[in-house]
Amino acid sequence: MTIYEGMYLLDNETVRKDWGSAKSIVTGTLEKHGATVHTARRWDERRLAYPIKKRNRATFLLTYFEIPGENIPAMRRDFELNDYVLRSLEIAVEAIPETETELAQAEQSADFIVPTPPDDDAVDEVEETDDGDDDMDDDDDDGPRRPRARRATKSKRDEDSDDDEDADASEED
Amino acid sequence: MAVKGKFGRRGNTRNRRTCDEQPLDYKDVETLEKHLTAYGQIQGRRRTGYVAKCQRDLKLAIKRARHLGLMPFVG
Repeated sequence: MTIYEGMYLLDNETVRKDWGSAKSIVTGTLEKHGATVHTARRWDERRLAYPIKKRNRATFLLTYFEIPGENIPAMRRDFELNDYVLRSLEIAVEAIPETETELAQAEQSADFIVPTPPDDDAVDEVEETDDGDDDMDDDDDDGPRRPRARRATKSKRDEDSDDDEDADASEED
Repeated sequence: MAVKGKFGRRGNTRNRRTCDEQPLDYKDVETLEKHLTAYGQIQGRRRTGYVAKCQRDLKLAIKRARHLGLMPFVG
């Protein structure tokens, strides 16, 4: 069987109630479809780039599992219909990363406390870091392109030249 | 070094960037964000400097990150 990496967005309200039950929603669905779950851990809790199912924040659950290929469409369908899972992504990987097993075991230990998710409208604290320019060139054109200055029309140019002449005349006076 | 052939300048074939050392991953949002324009579009190869394979990997990683709400589609 192929090893898959699954990332699931969980509703923070469910996570706030109990992390264990929120996690078992995903692992239970996977096992229901014949998957062998190797690791499942809380990856992060962060603000979403755009609202998903009217939620601005979500908790990310990262899992590695093995599942027969023919069961995947039914499993995806199950996650789509689940109200507690906002989004899901499954991708095939060659192997489980070495660090992943340690991190998943650390979460299972008794002294691991899952931080309570903040309110849905809370804003992430951004650390001020100088990320530098990643460009390969030296120009400074990272920002939005500024609109080109329009060339003065002929009539406008004539007016301007008249103004200049008036100004010159006044200076002479 | 730029090669001038039948169809004109072929572009800089040296100094191309690869992603062999650090594979592009959809979870590494900080790296991926560097390859977006101010409006959230994926930068082209000319801009990122990646070889074709890595540019395809970049595209896939950004699209996965967008699907999960880690990165914006616009802006």
